[in-house]
Amino acid sequence: MKIFITGATGYVGHSLALTLANKGNQVNILVRNPGSVKVPVHENMHVFKGDISNRTSIRKAMEGCSYVYHTAALVKLWAKDATEFYRTNVEGTNNVLAEALEANIKKLVFTSTCGVIGASLKEPLTENDPRIATFDNDYEFTKFMAENLVKQYIHKGLFTVIVSLSKVFGPGIETHPVSVNKMIKDFIDGKTTFIPSPGTYVSNFCFIDDVVKGHQLAMEKGLAGEKYILGGENISYAAFFETLRGISKSKSKVIPTPKPLAKMVAWMQWLKHTITNEDLFFTARGLNHIYCNKSFSSSKAMQQLGYAPTALPNALEKTIQFLNLQNHAH
Amino acid sequence: MHTKYYTLITGASEGFGKALALECAGRKMNLILVALPGPELANLANFIKRNYSVDVIGIAKDLCKEENCLALFEEVSAMKLRVNMLVNNAGLGSTLLFSEGTLRLYETQIKLNILATTMLTRLFLEQLQKNSPANVLNVGSLSCYFTLAKKQVYGATKSYIYSFSKSLRCELKARGINVSVICPGCMYTNMSGTLLLKSSGWLARQSAMNPEEVATIAIEGLLKKREVIIPGNINKFLLVLNNLIPSFLKTFFINRQMRTLNSNALKTVPPSPKPTFSDAIPYYSINLKKHNHENK
Repeated sequence: MKIFITGATGYVGHSLALTLANKGNQVNILVRNPGSVKVPVHENMHVFKGDISNRTSIRKAMEGCSYVYHTAALVKLWAKDATEFYRTNVEGTNNVLAEALEANIKKLVFTSTCGVIGASLKEPLTENDPRIATFDNDYEFTKFMAENLVKQYIHKGLFTVIVSLSKVFGPGIETHPVSVNKMIKDFIDGKTTFIPSPGTYVSNFCFIDDVVKGHQLAMEKGLAGEKYILGGENISYAAFFETLRGISKSKSKVIPTPKPLAKMVAWMQWLKHTITNEDLFFTARGLNHIYCNKSFSSSKAMQQLGYAPTALPNALEKTIQFLNLQNHAH
Repeated sequence: MHTKYYTLITGASEGFGKALALECAGRKMNLILVALPGPELANLANFIKRNYSVDVIGIAKDLCKEENCLALFEEVSAMKLRVNMLVNNAGLGSTLLFSEGTLRLYETQIKLNILATTMLTRLFLEQLQKNSPANVLNVGSLSCYFTLAKKQVYGATKSYIYSFSKSLRCELKARGINVSVICPGCMYTNMSGTLLLKSSGWLARQSAMNPEEVATIAIEGLLKKREVIIPGNINKFLLVLNNLIPSFLKTFFINRQMRTLNSNALKTVPPSPKPTFSDAIPYYSINLKKHNHENK
């Protein structure tokens, strides 16, 4: 089977590409810089230089493929030029969809985020739940727009499926300065960890191996135009780190931080940014995304796709092993 | 036995109506949600039932048709639901030159914005009085105060709502029914609107509000029995300014602001003569001004 993957130098795309290549599939990947260390290497992997903003490069890389995984996206909460989000996440997605339609692709799986569904109240959110708060960042808004495009292409005759990921962690390449992996690593390395106060805010953490498997299941069994949440366990930040402490025996302090204090830090970072022009890790407004419940239900994927998320302690154990090995390698 | 009262909200499945529904649910009001047929209404009703301990009834009706207003009233009466709050929110917006709009659009707009509000208020009048103290919230618009290009019909329908609400208020006070009208400015309610706002001028972006913020102000104002509710400081300021500056200057400024808004809007959203604010318009090329709406 010949498969085209975008975003193979990203955290999820990289693992997915390697998994598919290992299974004996021919995998075409489109990368901006073929010399990057993030490019997955495998004998079944065919690297094409290009960009999702360039339709010709997509066309060449997609040639002869039957299936497409579109995982490429600009993933961060803040960019100096907000139009970057629109170019990559919306126009880029449209380019991939248009080329997939032209190339008679059998099925396309689009990687999206639970952030499009939004924050939760009491009950875990499902694929059908309405969004309660207005979009306050361009990342989630552009992923929402992209999802709409993906759904529209159904009517043009392209078989598309959407998978929505929550906070992904586990073995894989490091692509972001702020990630769950980094949070876990700092904690097991003995660094003091700051969590939102009260520590009872619930979030959903999903394991990379499950997410990669979930993508394949969506390709295999996903119904046209459907969206599937590929999540993990819903757990409070406090309980998450207690679980992690139980496995890693780390003695790191976990300090619940009140929102006003975190806001002050964000403002100071902003000030620093205005002087040094350094990229921002988080913004005052972005904090709203941490100080809320983000609880999601994967039951649709479990029932319809056979998605089976790994138990959190097992997933954390594998992640710690990986992070420790990485430590020794350095 | 404790009597169970209901708040009826029209146009409840999306945008401001959805925000109003969530706000009322948060205040422990039982809800009758009315919206166009489609999965959104059932999804919202289901979500509210699961997350708030209130009763929610979803009724799918297209209120552009007079007979559906009557059918809605009859359905609610048949279920013996006691309505003590009526929120006339369903409405159709448009930003078009008068020559660009079709007869069908203007007909729909007038029927939904004016006729449905009038008919539903009249139909539920006896019920509201019986269940008093009762409240009626009509959703007007800030645009009813201003002379605006491309908002002729829409602005006029909202002027009707404004005038209707103020007069009705005096009449119904003695019957234990409070009537308030809210006049919101721009809101981030749907994709095309949001994109249009993001690409429009500084003033428009500063004055734009999230529907959930406006919904809180709306219900608070309604329960405090305010006559006219203007959400947002910038919007209030614009109104004060409107009363202060001479009319020739006003016309000049508004026209200038609208020109920038419109010229930008043309770049992002092709003018659509369809009577819906459709989210299905493909945005292949987005021409956004550089903006950081974070950390402002």
